[in-house]
Amino acid sequence: MINENLDIYLQALNSANSGIIITDNLQPDNPIIYCNSAFEKISGYSTDEIIGHNCRFLQAQDRSQAERQLLKDSIREGKECKVEIRNYRKNGQLFWNELLISPVKNEEGLVTHFIGVQHDVTERKRVEYELREEKTYIEEKVRERTKEIMVKEAFLSSIIQTVRESLLVLDSNYVVLSANNHFLSTFKVTQEETVGKVLFELGNHQWDIDPLKDLLTKILPTNNPVTDYEVEHHFQHIGKKVMLLNAYRIELEGQYKDRILIAIEDITEKKELDRRKDDFLSIASHELKTPLTTIKSLIQLLQRMDPAKNPEKFTTSLDKVSVYIEKLNKLISKLLDTSKIHSGNIELHMEPFEIDKTVQDAIDNLSVAIPGHHISFSGCTNATVIGDEMQILQVINNLISNAIKYAPGSKNVEVYINNVGNFVKISVKDYGMGINHQDKIKIFERFFRASDIQKKYPGLGIGLYVSHEIVVNHKGTLWVESEIGEGSTFNFTLPIMKNNNYG
Amino acid sequence: MDSKKIMICDDDQGILDVLQMLLELEGYEVLPQLNSIHVIKEIMIHSPDVLLLDLWMPVLSGDQILKAIRSTPEIKQLPVIVLSASGDGNKIAMEVGADGFIAKPFDLDDILLKINSLLPN
Repeated sequence: MINENLDIYLQALNSANSGIIITDNLQPDNPIIYCNSAFEKISGYSTDEIIGHNCRFLQAQDRSQAERQLLKDSIREGKECKVEIRNYRKNGQLFWNELLISPVKNEEGLVTHFIGVQHDVTERKRVEYELREEKTYIEEKVRERTKEIMVKEAFLSSIIQTVRESLLVLDSNYVVLSANNHFLSTFKVTQEETVGKVLFELGNHQWDIDPLKDLLTKILPTNNPVTDYEVEHHFQHIGKKVMLLNAYRIELEGQYKDRILIAIEDITEKKELDRRKDDFLSIASHELKTPLTTIKSLIQLLQRMDPAKNPEKFTTSLDKVSVYIEKLNKLISKLLDTSKIHSGNIELHMEPFEIDKTVQDAIDNLSVAIPGHHISFSGCTNATVIGDEMQILQVINNLISNAIKYAPGSKNVEVYINNVGNFVKISVKDYGMGINHQDKIKIFERFFRASDIQKKYPGLGIGLYVSHEIVVNHKGTLWVESEIGEGSTFNFTLPIMKNNNYG
Repeated sequence: MDSKKIMICDDDQGILDVLQMLLELEGYEVLPQLNSIHVIKEIMIHSPDVLLLDLWMPVLSGDQILKAIRSTPEIKQLPVIVLSASGDGNKIAMEVGADGFIAKPFDLDDILLKINSLLPN
């Protein structure tokens, strides 16, 4: 009966999924005296290789686990204990063993046996490990990204603080979220007085500026972004400021949506400087013309005196003086033109005219005025353009006289005219010294003179600037093509009003 | 026959001198005015036949003087020729009712022609 029951128990043990062993605590080194088939499966050893060994054979060379001490202590004290310990199969493969040992005591309370129940928890451990790894990896990534963002933010804010332009960030209700150092120093305010306040209420409502309100409430909502918006305002403490504004509303979905960025350039001094420069040029040319008027008149008075009484040399000298006075007068007029063009108050008298004829007239006049040079003219457009004929004439005169002036070794200047799409193109070609690449754009700037030219050919350096402004005012383009030593071709275009060939 | 009287108002002594020389050579009686604030009073006293008037002058500018002339009934008919070295002088002169404009520096012939054309004959 007992044997029958034992068989059933043994069968039950062998069908369990858990590895089960029994050790004899009364024998030296606590040897294994029983193991079920699940234990064989977990460990890879067969029963006969297992019986008689101490459990530690499963630890192979991996002896330094903290769990071992726990097991040892429990066995010595005859206590139950549960550990997760690294064990090795017969083939050397690691497996994680969740081991529960519990003591079996006899009537006297002496621990006779230990029962060990084992589960292979390698898979669970692996998942746990991977999760832990994943977590560490993600945490590391987050740390990196956070650091990156902080560095970027510090970098961006250092840019914002360093730029020499005032920058403001507003929320959608025009409350200032941030203001950079330049804003604070330009408008002489503190961070506390600015951040958190509605822009229009800043400085006791000093910023309640109608054009600024228009920009933010009317223009920006439908024209984002707005650039170069000029606002002039008189501030109580800092006086008149002329500001050039760029405004940008963030449209990107997200936490910054509808925030408004405003960049404010203080152009007060620049405007004032421009105005003073123009005033200076205008006053200077007027003041220069006044004594010139007297000189010219005196010369004319001398010329009017009875020529019969004057020796020939006297008369020719006076004539020469007249010529030079006229030259001086023209230089001064150019100076005045420049200042007027720059301040934008030159008036164009726009009327239709035939461009072929204008160019021909210019050449005829210059050929008479500058004998010794041959100015050839080719091409024909039959086009009518709208513009200020006197000014276009001035451009042609400037280009041809430059061609003669800067090509002392050559007697030929070629002028040609063509239709190019809806434009006429007029070209003036010389065989002079040419212009180096860097100077090709600069020569159209006010007062620019190529340095080597400055020495040889004194002048004001405003002819090309004036010509350029005139052509641009006529919606055309003026440019130069040139190679050093091979001469230059100055070209300009003007839009055609109608072409007489077809209409 | 009495010679015609030409008044010249300019803040530059050189221009006054040279115009005076020219016009006197041509047989005119010349009334030079260096100081613009006395011009209106001098016109009332001397009744010139033509006034040559500079634009850019300190205290009272040419256009202010011309406006004053045109709004003073006794002298509003006075022929006035504006002389100026500034580019927009012509425009200003016409706006305030000048009878002629001559740019500085001028040709003496132009001055004489313009004066002649404005004198009743």
